[in-house]
Amino acid sequence: MANPTIWENVQNSSLGLGIAESEWWFPTIETVHVIALVTVVGVIAAMDLRLLGLTSRGKSVVAMERDTVPLVWGAFVLALVTGTLLFVSKAATYMANPFFLWKMGLMALAGVNMAIFHRVLSQGVDEWGQPGHAIPMAAKVSGVVSLVLWMLIPLCGRIVGFTLGVYYS
Amino acid sequence: MCLKEGNTMGEWLFEMTERLRGTQLVEFSLWVTDWPFAIWLQSHFLAIPGFQTLHILAIAVLFSSVLMLNMRIWGFTGKDQGIEAAYRRFVPWSWWAAAFLIATGVVLLISEPVRNMVNAIFWIKMSFLVIAITASLVFQRAVRVQMRAGAAALEATGALKVGAVVLTLLWCAVIMGGRWIAYAPV
Repeated sequence: MANPTIWENVQNSSLGLGIAESEWWFPTIETVHVIALVTVVGVIAAMDLRLLGLTSRGKSVVAMERDTVPLVWGAFVLALVTGTLLFVSKAATYMANPFFLWKMGLMALAGVNMAIFHRVLSQGVDEWGQPGHAIPMAAKVSGVVSLVLWMLIPLCGRIVGFTLGVYYS
Repeated sequence: MCLKEGNTMGEWLFEMTERLRGTQLVEFSLWVTDWPFAIWLQSHFLAIPGFQTLHILAIAVLFSSVLMLNMRIWGFTGKDQGIEAAYRRFVPWSWWAAAFLIATGVVLLISEPVRNMVNAIFWIKMSFLVIAITASLVFQRAVRVQMRAGAAALEATGALKVGAVVLTLLWCAVIMGGRWIAYAPV
């Protein structure tokens, strides 16, 4: 190949080749990735459902955040590290896959949604986040957006696994 | 390339799958392959990844419910309320998720009957699933006993804390089995 792209170089790095060529590295990293991502998605959903006033109603929003945020971040870092290792082994193939790019885009949107909630929408949460208080519509919308995004992200991830041969670069 | 243990493990799994090939499961799974629903699943591009996603979302609800209760039992989170509040919040969700998990799992089984049923890892996963469900029932009973202990309901016993870790590891083993079905040495 005369002029390999950056992604081909990543894929052909010793790390990328090592993961791709081993019989058990890829599935092992993938297993840790699944355990991490189900924790991220499930714990975020518990928080979102509280924001929608559907569950954990006896608990304040602030207490719910304190219980969920550290677990979500810990699991997210694990998912990110394992996800990066999986990516490195097939970097060029993943970058050519529109579902992979959608997944990355949707995760960025989920991040923006979370940032907006923390910076803007959670103002006055000490008040409206108390048990029995009405939750502002904007906070509820943020919860729904988060739930929908975190359902679409694993869907894109799963479709990537089925379309590797379709968008081969 | 492979570690020595890896090879032995791989050979053992291969041998187990060979034995499954000598059973009625082959005929049964081939029969299921011809069901109209199986053919529908196989012939629609989004059907299998779609049901796999529903399966993963159910695992997300189940596993995070188990984690949230276990974190409360260890006293890492939820200290503003007793164990009972965490139990009431998360245990029903974990059972509904388990029911949804089994339902979507059956659909996935029908979608690829031979790949699943004539596969040693699938049966290892099912064994871990039965153990995890049984352990959950025993564990939850022990938590309820603790909850009835009044003032002690704020603080879990050492046995419950150990049980919480064991249960989390059992569900990890089930998840691991699920992922490795696709990589079975056949």
